[in-house]
Parts: sequence; C-alpha cells; structure tokens
Amino acid sequence: MRKTSHWLWLAALLVYLFLYLPLTVVVIYSFNDSRLNAEWVGFTSRWYKVLFQDEEMIQAAINSILIAIGASLIATLLGTMAGIAMHRYRLRVLPFLVITPVAMPEILLGVSLLLFFIQVLHLTLGLLSVLIAHITFCLGFVAIVVRARLTGMDESIFEAARDLGATPWKTFQLVTLPLIMPAVIAGALMSFTLSIDDFVITFFTAGVGVSTLPLQIYSMIKIAVTPEVNAVSTLLMLVTLGMIVLAAKFDKTVLRGQG
Amino acid sequence: MKAFLTTEALRHREKSCKKPSVPLCLCGGFLLFLFSITALARDELHLYNWNNYISDETVVRFERSCNCKLVQDYYSDNEEMLAKLAAGASGYDLIVPTGNAVESLIKSGQLRPINKQLLPNLKNIDPAYLDTAFDPGNRYSVPYAYTITLIGYNAEKMRALNLPTDTWAVIFEPKYLKKLKGRVTVLDSQRELMAAALKYLGYSANDTDEAHWRRARDLIIRAKPYWAAFNASSYIKELTIGNIWLAHGYSNDMFQARQDAKNAGRPFTIAYATPKEGAVLALDSMVLHKTGPRPDLAHRFIDFMLVGKNSAELTNLIGSGNPNRDAMRHIDPAIAANRAVFPTPDIQRRLEMLMDLDRNQRRVLSRMWTEIKVR
Amino acid sequence: MNKERLTRWLTFGPPFIFMVVFFVLPAFIMVAASFRFPGEYGGLAPMFENGTWQFTLETYRFFFSDFIYTEIFLKSFFIAGLTTLICIALAYPLALLITRVPKRFRDVMVLLVVLPFASNFLIRVYAWMIILGPQSAFSTAVNSVVTAFGFEPVPLLFSPFAVIVGMVYVHLPFMVLPLYTNLEKHDPILLDAAQDLGANAWQRFWKVTWPLSLPGVYAGSALVFIPVLGMFAVPDILGGTGDILIGNLIKEQFLGTRDWPFGSTLSIMLTLAVLAIAALAMRYSRKSLSHA
Repeated sequence: MRKTSHWLWLAALLVYLFLYLPLTVVVIYSFNDSRLNAEWVGFTSRWYKVLFQDEEMIQAAINSILIAIGASLIATLLGTMAGIAMHRYRLRVLPFLVITPVAMPEILLGVSLLLFFIQVLHLTLGLLSVLIAHITFCLGFVAIVVRARLTGMDESIFEAARDLGATPWKTFQLVTLPLIMPAVIAGALMSFTLSIDDFVITFFTAGVGVSTLPLQIYSMIKIAVTPEVNAVSTLLMLVTLGMIVLAAKFDKTVLRGQG
Repeated sequence: MKAFLTTEALRHREKSCKKPSVPLCLCGGFLLFLFSITALARDELHLYNWNNYISDETVVRFERSCNCKLVQDYYSDNEEMLAKLAAGASGYDLIVPTGNAVESLIKSGQLRPINKQLLPNLKNIDPAYLDTAFDPGNRYSVPYAYTITLIGYNAEKMRALNLPTDTWAVIFEPKYLKKLKGRVTVLDSQRELMAAALKYLGYSANDTDEAHWRRARDLIIRAKPYWAAFNASSYIKELTIGNIWLAHGYSNDMFQARQDAKNAGRPFTIAYATPKEGAVLALDSMVLHKTGPRPDLAHRFIDFMLVGKNSAELTNLIGSGNPNRDAMRHIDPAIAANRAVFPTPDIQRRLEMLMDLDRNQRRVLSRMWTEIKVR
Repeated sequence: MNKERLTRWLTFGPPFIFMVVFFVLPAFIMVAASFRFPGEYGGLAPMFENGTWQFTLETYRFFFSDFIYTEIFLKSFFIAGLTTLICIALAYPLALLITRVPKRFRDVMVLLVVLPFASNFLIRVYAWMIILGPQSAFSTAVNSVVTAFGFEPVPLLFSPFAVIVGMVYVHLPFMVLPLYTNLEKHDPILLDAAQDLGANAWQRFWKVTWPLSLPGVYAGSALVFIPVLGMFAVPDILGGTGDILIGNLIKEQFLGTRDWPFGSTLSIMLTLAVLAIAALAMRYSRKSLSHA
C-alpha cells in the first residue's frame, strides 16, 4: 500500500464535510419543535409521530422505494448491456440513444412520455408508467459509467478467455462482469438516487392516486415543507443504508472475498 | 460492510453465478406487484387538489357520509395541472382550479357540466362570487375558496422605516425600496407580477395592450435591483424568520406566516393588506373532469363542501377567503374580522379576477418575462 | 460467426429496443411539436385545421430573431462549466483517497458519498437555505471577514453563489462515482515504477494518474455538465432575481406560458448543442487516449 499524503486526507475530509453539512441540518431539524424548516426552537419527536400517522406520506415513501429499486435494477441491467455493447462494437446509433435522454430537459421527457403513453400506447397511467419513465432516464447514466470503466482496459484478457474456449456468456460471467462490477454498482447507486429524487418526470407520468415522495413533498412547497419531510428523509436514508447492508450480507461470496 | 464494490472481491464470485440471480427474481416479483395493485377498485372519489386545501376532519366526515374513500392527488400550480390534463391524463373526478384555469378547461372542452339539482346547498354561495366572467351562469364550476394577491410585511420593520403598507408603490418605487434593499420578494409568476404592476399604473389587471405591458415591464425592471428574489415557495418562511420584510404573495400564505411568527414567539408580527390600487382575487372552484368515473360522488362532495360548517373548516385551517354566506358563523372571529381576507365592499370593487390570455398574448408576455428575468 | 452476431444482438438489442420504444418514439412527438402551433388554451393546436396542415418554423425564427435566448444559453453553459470544474476539483481527491484506503473501507466510503442523496432533493436544498441564510453562523462568519476588509456585507442566499453551491452539491456524486470506478482499476505498480524512475509526487500525478483517469473525468463531466443545463429547481429556490438558466426558460414554456412548441424548440436547441459538445469531446478524448 502506498503512503497516502496528509493533504489528500484533509481534502477528502473537507469534501465529506461539504456533503454532510446539509444532511446534518436535515436530520437535526427533523427533531425541531417548529413547523418551519428554518431555525432551531427546541427538541421534539412529534414529527415522527405525525409521520407515522400520515398514511399518504408513508404510502408515497413505499412507492418511491419500490420504484427506485425496480428502476435501478432494470436500468442497471440494460445500461450495463448498452455500456458493454458501446465499448465492444463500433456502434453509431446506440451512443446517441444513450446520451440524448441525459441531455434532454426532463420536462420535455416527461411531457413526451405522457403523450406517448396516453395517445399512442393507450396505457392507463400508474406505477408502471412511472417505472418505465425512470428506467429511460437512468439507463444512460449506467451505460456511460460502465463504458468509462471499460475504456482503456486491456483487451487481451477477453481474447485470452475466448482462446481458452470460453463461450461468450462464460467470458462475460468470469471476466467481464467481475471487471466492471464497481461501475455496475456505481450505476445502480446513481440510478437509485436519480429515481428516488425525481419530481418532474414522475409528475407527468404518475396515474390517478399514485404518489411518490417527491410528488408529495413538492405539493407542500407552497404552504411550507414541515419537519415531517425531514423525518421521512432521515428514515429513508436509514432504510437505504439498511437495504444495502442486507444486500451485502446476503451475498455470501462477498464474505468469502473478504476473508 | 463487505467488500462488494471492489474487483478483488468479485474475482471470487464465479461459483455463485449458476444460481438464478437475486436481482432478476426481484424484478419479476416487483412487476407482478405493480400489476396487482393497479387492478383494485373500490368506491373511490378522485380529487385533484392543492395540498392542504381541505381539513382532515372534513375528509373524515365526508368519507363517513358517502361511505367511500376520498383519494387526493396534488398539484402546486394551476399550470402543472393544466399541462398534465392537456396531454390527456385522465381519471380525476374533481379538480379545484383557479378562475382562469377553469376558463381554459371549459374552452378546451375538458369539463362536465354540473347538475344543479344535485346541489341544494348552492344557495349558500354569496352571489358576488357566482356568474363570473370565466364561467357565466356557473354551468361548470362551483366556488370553493379564494385568495387575494397582496403584500405581507414585517409590521415593526415597516413602521420603523416609516414605509407605507397600503400601496403597490412600496414594491415598485425605488424611493421606498432603497430602505428595503435585499429584503423584498415578489411572486415568481408572470401574470401576478404584471397584474400588480398594471394595477399600480392604474390599468386593469387584465389589460392586454402591449404598450401598457411595456410600461409595466419597465416598472418591474426598474424595481428589480432592490428585490432579493422572485419567490413562489419560501417567502412564508423567510418572512417568519425575519430575513424578508416585505413580500408580494397570497393572503393564505400571509395568514400562515402570521400564525407561524406568533407561534414561534417572534418579536415582530406579520401583517398583510390589500393595496389601495386594487389587486387580483383568485377564486378557486370545484369542477368535474370529463373523464372522472364517479360524477355521482363528485356531486355529493360538492354539495357537502357547500355546507357552511365544512367550508368554514378550510378557512379556519388556512385563512382562505370564503364565498359561502352560511360559513361565516363558523369562522374564527379573528379571521372573519380580517379585512385582507374578507375585504370591505370598497376594496372588493377594486379586486379583479385574472382572465386567460390567448396564445399570441402568452408568447408576447413570455418574451417580456424573459427580458425581466435577464436584465 | 453466426454465434458472434447472436452475442452482439443479445448485448445491444435489449437496451436498443427499449430506448427506441420509450425514448425515440416519444421524443419524436415532441420534435414534431416544435413545428406546430400552441393550442389556444394550452397543449398543442390540431395538426390539421381549416383544410390545411398546420406546420410552421415560427418558433425557430422566434429563437434566432432575439439574442436574449442565445444569451441565456451562453450563461447556462458558463454556469454548467463552472459547476463541472468545481465538481472535478472536489471529487478528485475524494475518489483518489477512496482507492488508497484498505479495501474493506472502500465500500463504506463510497456509500457515504451516495447516502445523503437518498434523502429528498428539496429538503437538502432547504438545508442549504438554512446554512446560507443571513442569520446563519456560516453567513455571519463570511460577512465578518468581508467587512473586516472594508467591503459591504454580501447576501449569500438568493445569489449566483448560492446557485453554484447548490448545483455542485446536487451533482457531486455523479462525478465521484465515475472517477472512483476509473481510478480503482489503475495498477499501483505504474506509480511505483514512476517513483523508481525518480518522479516526485506531483509528476506521478500529472504523468501517470491524471492521463489514465481521463475516461473517468469525461464520463463524470458528462453526467454533471449535461444535467446542470436542464436544472431549474436550484436556481428557482436558491437564486436571486437574475439567476435564470435554460432549464428555467424551458420550464416556463411548459408550466407558465403553455407554449409547448417553443419549449420543444428550446429543448431541441439545447440537446443539439449538448450532443455537439459531446461529439467533440469524444473525438478529443479518443485522440488523447491514443496518445496516453
């Protein structure tokens, strides 16, 4: 292991501070005894009680998590394929298909998907339409990261695997996938955060009676976003953390990898 | 935490790869779940509404009386709702849009006429709020509540600075604004801000003469350097904590700011007043969307909301103006006495409801708005 | 050979088909919309009316006839560029550090980067409003320094500064993750070799680490620069009276003016500009990679 300079540590610590300063505010203010998300008044846990009685908010949070999980899994699957394809084959169209949704303003994406679902597919809007929309804008992020990971990698390993008689699937399983895994997981994490935070596209594609957390919270913006939202955000982070820890626990091979 | 992100660890994965992958199973189960929950249907009334625009007690009583479930979806802006419906979103029984949005929905043929026979309580509505320009004869809409776009201010600060609080001049005139630099917010809304400027210049809020618009634009551009922000969302909070001393905004919001400041024990009070030049009155009405599957329940809901007590609960909750005569005796006396919520006849005459613009006017206004934002 | 083609199709087919169905077709509706008229009451006017097809280049004429729109474009590109540079500056040391800690800590550290973003966007931006507000400790500290040098105190909230802080904050993980996944695959032997050849720390970074990390830098830049251009919520909430970007302008067309055709035109212009930049960058990156 190389010696890491103290400066690097200091710089990284400052960046973590930058990331966590607002978050600390979010968590602290979830215990604030004031309806306003503005100044500290005193300690209370009442916002958590309010939250646990707020069925709408809880249902919205559950919807958000389900959509985020679904969208990030499927977008990661498709995005990884796209990233590999873009790297391996000299494709002309796919790179554009992948980067354009990232480049397109989300309002346009939202309106166009809404028009398409209703006027072309005659689909009743619901959770499914939201899921499809989220996959569409997450896919590009995954593909770009996966491709960046593959760029500049030594091609000889793939050739060696093929020369040793491995089928394409085996090569993928044994060589490609392990090599790009950090990018795949980074892509999944990005998709998850993109999906769970999306308001604009969700607003347009959500059906009657289907709400997600951002929809719920944005509609409160006019009358004040109460600390109940801080409370639900805090819990959401804990749930996310829990899910990732669980996922890591379940994967026994990872355990072996560490030993 | 396990080393699941590093390549090193993953070189050991090969043995587990023969198992069906966990993510795939999850996806499948997830899709099944999606289809299963969309298939359910009960006696439900779908209300597309502003958030916090009906009190919880009212909802509970309505649900008991109709033996159904009130499901609400929310929007925070008329335009959001209009855009979604214009693209063809469907399934909402009831919507609560503001006057000009009602006009747009009527003219684009998206509404179902109401059946007044089913609304015996319609008689409770003050005739001043019926037969409006946007829906003559109330064929499609029933008044729900209103707000007035006015100025809210930090009473102590304004007094100390010796500034007037009964005129738009304080928002637009540099001689006053000098004392308030960086402490003023105005609404981030083309129509509302232009309306205030037009009113101050002595024109109608619905004036569409381009020359008048240009004068209003110049007035706004002249005042802009003194404003802190165009703000539609956080001025309640900023007023309450004392960062902002003067805000152009809705009477409901000012009511909220006043309550919040009082509850937080602030050393100042938030007051609000309708400028003497007149202002915009936004009347929100209940309308039936054509695609709503349950017009029967929707009519029951409308009639229920026309009962004075139910209507009054909303006013007591958010300080909205109330067009229901029968509601007055249930309204908190402090609110009922507030002239900014229930204006005197004299002021009432100077209130205007915004009418919808046609597409060319909208483009011209949008161009001016862009200029206002950039300059 | 046949098998090779099958593999190719299996890899690129599913994402390709998904994107064609759920992106190209819907996007086509909106590209077509830019040539249509806005509906009198919102949405789009009918395509066929009064016996003629209703298509026009009006919105494009509108766009080019007035410098004000180009001005907003240029300003937005500047803000996006600045945000991207700051993100690189912040993300690089962090990503580098993560690759240098023992393996069992790496995942925790990556996770710590993403975790704040599982909370809600709006509530994070509101937290910045508290931090940057005139009464906050941060604001007072900054202004005591400013006044000590004899300047007028500056408002931090509702300013371009607040917009940049918000933009950087919101997009930082999208720079850290691609950078990390790139840096993580570098072979430390290269650095050792460079050291043995007498390169100091700074030379090792510029001659070895930085060139090798370029694909990660490009990917991260794309994922920051492009979304910043379309973002409207941050300038809306944190910006002052002059902080309008393309994202706000486009949003205003759909959720303010009900001018979908002009909104589409603006979006198409933006998308084309971004694709042009991306194509240039790709070209450049290929060149620099082949040199590296």
